[in-house]
Amino acid sequence: MSTAAGEGLGTRPGEPLVQVRELVKHFPITRGIIFQRRIGATKAVDGVSFEVQRGETLGIVGETGCGKTTTARLIMRLLDATAGEIRFDGQDITRLKGAPLKAVRREMQMVFQDPYSSLNPRKTIGSIISEPFAIHGLHRDSSERKRTVRELMDTVGLNPEHYNRYPHEFSGGERQRIGVARALALKPKLLIADEPVSALDVSIQAQVLNLLRDMQRRFGLTLVLISHDLSVVRHMCDRVAVMYRGEIVELAFNEELYSQPSHPYTRALLAAVPGARKDRRTIPE
Amino acid sequence: MSAEPLLRVEDLHVEFPTEDGVVHAVDGLSYDVRRGRTLGIVGESGSGKTVSSLTTMGLTRRMGARISGRILFEGRDLLTLSEEEMRKLRGNDIAMVFQDPLSSLHPLYRVGAQIVEALRAHRDVPKAHAHARAIELLGLVGIPDPGRRVNDYPHEFSGGERQRAMIAMALVNEPKLLIADEPTTALDVTVQAQILALLERLQRELAMAIVIVTHDLGVVAEMAEYIAVMYAGRIVETAPAERLFSAPEHPYTWGLLKSIPTLEGPRVQELEPIPGSPPSLIHRPSGCHFHPRCPYAQPEHARIDPRSEPVPGEPAHRVACLLEPATRRRLWAQLRAGWTPAEALIAVGSPEGQA
Repeated sequence: MSTAAGEGLGTRPGEPLVQVRELVKHFPITRGIIFQRRIGATKAVDGVSFEVQRGETLGIVGETGCGKTTTARLIMRLLDATAGEIRFDGQDITRLKGAPLKAVRREMQMVFQDPYSSLNPRKTIGSIISEPFAIHGLHRDSSERKRTVRELMDTVGLNPEHYNRYPHEFSGGERQRIGVARALALKPKLLIADEPVSALDVSIQAQVLNLLRDMQRRFGLTLVLISHDLSVVRHMCDRVAVMYRGEIVELAFNEELYSQPSHPYTRALLAAVPGARKDRRTIPE
Repeated sequence: MSAEPLLRVEDLHVEFPTEDGVVHAVDGLSYDVRRGRTLGIVGESGSGKTVSSLTTMGLTRRMGARISGRILFEGRDLLTLSEEEMRKLRGNDIAMVFQDPLSSLHPLYRVGAQIVEALRAHRDVPKAHAHARAIELLGLVGIPDPGRRVNDYPHEFSGGERQRAMIAMALVNEPKLLIADEPTTALDVTVQAQILALLERLQRELAMAIVIVTHDLGVVAEMAEYIAVMYAGRIVETAPAERLFSAPEHPYTWGLLKSIPTLEGPRVQELEPIPGSPPSLIHRPSGCHFHPRCPYAQPEHARIDPRSEPVPGEPAHRVACLLEPATRRRLWAQLRAGWTPAEALIAVGSPEGQA
């Protein structure tokens, strides 16, 4: 098995960029308005362990509610883990707060599913893409900032002259390019794309997938791609984790997973893809 | 089985006057659906696929649409029927399953009551009888313990169960034609597979015709015997399902097939996206609507409107493309061998030179 990971890209060759150990996230279910009491917990992520190698693309697939988005938000530290450990670039970030957390956040960015709701409609594209600079106090000189943003727009295939336009003037595919430009602004090491094409028209999806792949090669990014679409994940990823009810049931290299799926749930998922196999009718109703 | 199709749509035009201009949602649509058969209509958002099905159901009239053409159902033109006559037909002979099962079910009425209502709107049956029929149908569409679940409210059903309940409601009067508009788009793949298998089974058992409207080529590959590809309000290509995938003729169909990652075959290194984005239906491109995005377009394609013509030697396969049939065949052979559109063009030479 040849390793697909791009070794030697980071500062500590060989060490994974992200290490997740026994990660758990339970959301409490409460009852009562004034005196809230816990009556149970939704086990969104329930003991997940995996690593993301530098330069690789890891796919996370699964159906609604399997915990794939929660896992991404935990790594991004948008949610606090109930238990477990997340290491990023060798550092334990599970309980990081304040300035050290802000510093780590620069290194990881996210592209969201819905390009319509993830861009502020009252801001111009220029100010949306330069917002990460404002947050992290970079490129304080406005002409320099503007030049950097225009370069980014050009990189992701947007016309830099559209700097002063608003999100509603762009199509879905272009908006997703804006989201990618914003995510790349801080030159992150890790990019997490959560269902980046599922809100797009069929003929546009390939444009965005090719852009992500292109950016990854160009900037040596490590990519985590979350999707419910097995074909998209097969096309994009080196390794694939299959999640089911908060757990990873199978984690394998791409070719292996699709040619010899070992977990029954993976087999059921693959058989369910329409048009892929004619033996779909074996799925129990 | 009579030779006359169950549903024949002829040169259907649907336009919506708006503040920004006239939206040409459906622009000269024609297709046939035979009894007990399945037609798949594939298109992106804004291709007119949903508006055409809503018009067949008589649901665009009140939206202020300007409609012309003919929709013949068992020989009767639905566009000439009164609202009263249409109401008798709708939900009875022709039923529709909508994309979003949560917003199509009334949240405050029990699921069973909504099925009973659909039945009693058309048939004078006692309530107890209708209730029993609702239970029977929920069982038929695979809801476990239907006798108890019939009294649930829609929010107590999962997404897949709601879609099944919608199908049960559509089937209650044993329609001759079922229009399913993106019936599985909001669902997970394993649930989708179950719903599609259910539709196929019910079609066999009840001998009803199905029009399945979707953006997903995989779904139509699975379900349909005949496929129509829509773009900007027009059908650009129609063919028997197998032929559409093995020998497509329209550059838009090629683009769709080349831009979608699949589970089979080698992992292609790069997908070949269709450049640009779907056109506005207010300011449509002149000539062939696809020409601004078509890698093989010639200058005159911006002026000439393509007509839907049969592919030579294949009367069941029709395409609306201005390229010469021989050129198209050679281009597809190149694309199929894995060449990009630009490479295919070089190999085949300028389409103009071939004409």
